[in-house]
Amino acid sequence: MTVPHHTSMQQHSHNPGSGGGSGDFKTDLLALIPFLRAFARSLCGNPEMADDLAQEALVKAWQARDSFVAGTNLKAWLFTILRNQFYSDRRRSWRQAPWDQDAAERIPGGSQDQNWSAELSDTARALRALTDEQREALILVGAGGFSYEDAARICNCAVGTVKSRVARARKALIAILDGDEKLPAADRPAEGEAAREIMAQLDRLAPEGSKKPE
Amino acid sequence: MSNEQNSNREKARAIRARQRVIGRELRRMYDGVAQEPVPDDFSDLLKKLDAKQGSGGSGSTSQ
Repeated sequence: MTVPHHTSMQQHSHNPGSGGGSGDFKTDLLALIPFLRAFARSLCGNPEMADDLAQEALVKAWQARDSFVAGTNLKAWLFTILRNQFYSDRRRSWRQAPWDQDAAERIPGGSQDQNWSAELSDTARALRALTDEQREALILVGAGGFSYEDAARICNCAVGTVKSRVARARKALIAILDGDEKLPAADRPAEGEAAREIMAQLDRLAPEGSKKPE
Repeated sequence: MSNEQNSNREKARAIRARQRVIGRELRRMYDGVAQEPVPDDFSDLLKKLDAKQGSGGSGSTSQ
């Protein structure tokens, strides 16, 4: 009933009518789900939203399975569907629904603690400060192991564009992280101990009237 | 002059080292999610989709 428009081409490459092919496709999809989830998490941050997105993408992929050309990169194909879904969902939620405000506020700042992994890393936080385009390019190339060419296909842009986005993303991350590090250098108890010990020694060394020599 | 070149080289090296650390961290985060056990929802969903295709015959009728 809901056959996507682009189904027409490559019908022969993969015939869902004959059980075997569809089974293989299903097995291949199953094997890629962990990576689909990882990419989804990097796009939307929030784990629940990411899993919803990944499932939506899976349904879309299943519906469009006839348009997948056997022998080409299924992972890149799947990621493309996920990415398109992410942006079209977001456009829709921006256009409508004031109640989405709540969810929207949760995305960028808020409690990011378990967004990427259990522990909150500086890099995970810094990633949120990048533009969507920089972030996705950096994740695909820097973490997902995609070539610039495949990343360009997924992001629907030129290879050179991906390259410059990745470069800018790296630069921005370093700037953010270095900026962060200059802030509070975390008061460690050990450091406090050491400082107190040194002060005590100085007190002992310094003559009565003049504290703090130097 | 050579001092300046040296410090530039140092700086470039420091940036590369920094990028390696960041790259490692990115992969750690990504792999961390990819290594999580996949919630059952996903395989259930695929099973459902597969079953629907079997019974409903959504789409391609054999030529």
